[in-house]
Amino acid sequence: MKLAFVVQRYGADIAGGSEAHCRALAQQLAPRHDITVLTSCATDYVSWRNVHAPGETRDGSVRVIRFAVRSPRDLHAFADLSDEVFDSRASPERQRAWFTANGPDVPDLLDHLQRFGRTYDLVLFWTYRYFPSYFGVPIVKERAVLLPTAEEDHAIDLDVLGEFFTLPAAYLFLTPEEQALVSSRAARPLGPAAVIGTGIEPAETSDGRARTLLEQSGIPRDFVLYLGRVDRNKGCHTLLDHFQQYLDAFASDELTLVLAGPAKMRVPPHPRITSLGYVADDLRRALLAHARVLAVPSPYESLSIALLEGWNYGVPAIVNARCRVLQGQVRRANGGLPYRSGEEFSEALAYLRTHENERRVLGEQGRAYVDREYRWPTVIERVERLLGDLVGQRANVKGQR
Amino acid sequence: MTADLRERVRGRLRERLLAHGASRHFDDPELFATVEQLLQTAIAEGDAGALLLPELLGDAETWRLQTSMPYQSHRATGPAALILFVKRRVLMPVLRWLFEYSRDNFERQRRVNQVLFACIQELAIENAALRQQVRALAPPPAAASRPGGVEGR
Repeated sequence: MKLAFVVQRYGADIAGGSEAHCRALAQQLAPRHDITVLTSCATDYVSWRNVHAPGETRDGSVRVIRFAVRSPRDLHAFADLSDEVFDSRASPERQRAWFTANGPDVPDLLDHLQRFGRTYDLVLFWTYRYFPSYFGVPIVKERAVLLPTAEEDHAIDLDVLGEFFTLPAAYLFLTPEEQALVSSRAARPLGPAAVIGTGIEPAETSDGRARTLLEQSGIPRDFVLYLGRVDRNKGCHTLLDHFQQYLDAFASDELTLVLAGPAKMRVPPHPRITSLGYVADDLRRALLAHARVLAVPSPYESLSIALLEGWNYGVPAIVNARCRVLQGQVRRANGGLPYRSGEEFSEALAYLRTHENERRVLGEQGRAYVDREYRWPTVIERVERLLGDLVGQRANVKGQR
Repeated sequence: MTADLRERVRGRLRERLLAHGASRHFDDPELFATVEQLLQTAIAEGDAGALLLPELLGDAETWRLQTSMPYQSHRATGPAALILFVKRRVLMPVLRWLFEYSRDNFERQRRVNQVLFACIQELAIENAALRQQVRALAPPPAAASRPGGVEGR
């Protein structure tokens, strides 16, 4: 199949869930299919400033065509417009203006879809909220496959999405909860869809070097791990509160909270809270291999890859039960405990600290779930089945004409 | 496992509320659990689009919290443009921190309002369902007690 992948940013150095998902899928499918990525020249999702040169390059066997961003994001104007459209029932014009302002504003990418969209068997779009998907899907809707990566945030409630969500020929979702969310916002029942998740490579066996690396980095033996951007939007402020509440209740427990990810908020100085900032891959693996528990406090997720990574190493999780996706992932895997409040967080953590066998079993159940659902061959088989069916159906319709 | 943990947390919460003078109805752990479950359902299912009360409150402009900053002026076109420019491009950037602080608080208030709407809806549904059940259980009125003769028109 000749496939186009439309995504807001692309590259090995891009830290972003949907971008990483797009690139991983492109790399996995490239040996058997002709993949072209259509993306912007930007690397920063806040400003969308052009960094790469426009034009064609290659990423292994994947063809990458970059399009210049016409104008970087005006942050103040975007903040005002976001307030306006999320606050009230803004007109459809204002809501569409929000998608333009959200960027990246790449009119040449839309022009490419107008001129060459029909030369691709299918065009896959990542993330409904950005300009390339919102304005690109209608251009090639009969061959568009949307991966919405939708979360329960303000944007999903915009009225204009009711019609938009019914345009694509098919959908690839990350979780059943995401599928239910998008279905609930679509004006009509959705077309063919598959829940694919993402692929995770099996974890390497831990050896003595991992422990040495942790000791060199000043990581204590017993720690709870938070993996990802340290940000209020990820629920980190509540995690810090809950963990301090736990320490107040269980003062004798010498547990440390280790935050592994770039800090976008202030982390209060505390002898039992360690913020490492960005961590290299080998330290990241060592942390996963030796964490007692993984904490996932995010209120919004379309799929928690950190949770899957934890399970990949047999680490059980305590997750924010207010997030339906996390709740669903933990329920299906039986790989952790959900909490709804600081008290429940403390109770769950204390339980895992005092029930070593149950802690280990939950982690192993998580690992079995990842083995069952999230290995690349399983994921790719789901993707190829849906895409193959679509292309086959279109060929049949053409043949009957 | 999760149910056991929640049960322990619920027990401690119930004791704390009682110590602070909560209703003695909470002496009954089963009743407390039912109340908590009902409120949790309201919080979890409180989708703004699924609530009846906001529809009945009438024009949203008269009651809904507005968290965005509308830029407007009553002046004629020329001066208005200048005033709006100053508001948007000079004052707002300087005062954005204050605006965002207020907006975040209004957002919290809006969430609380939504949860309260959802709680009222849950209670109203429960109440209506109980009324229906009570009505269904009540014995039919005896034929003799019906007023005879022609019904008033």
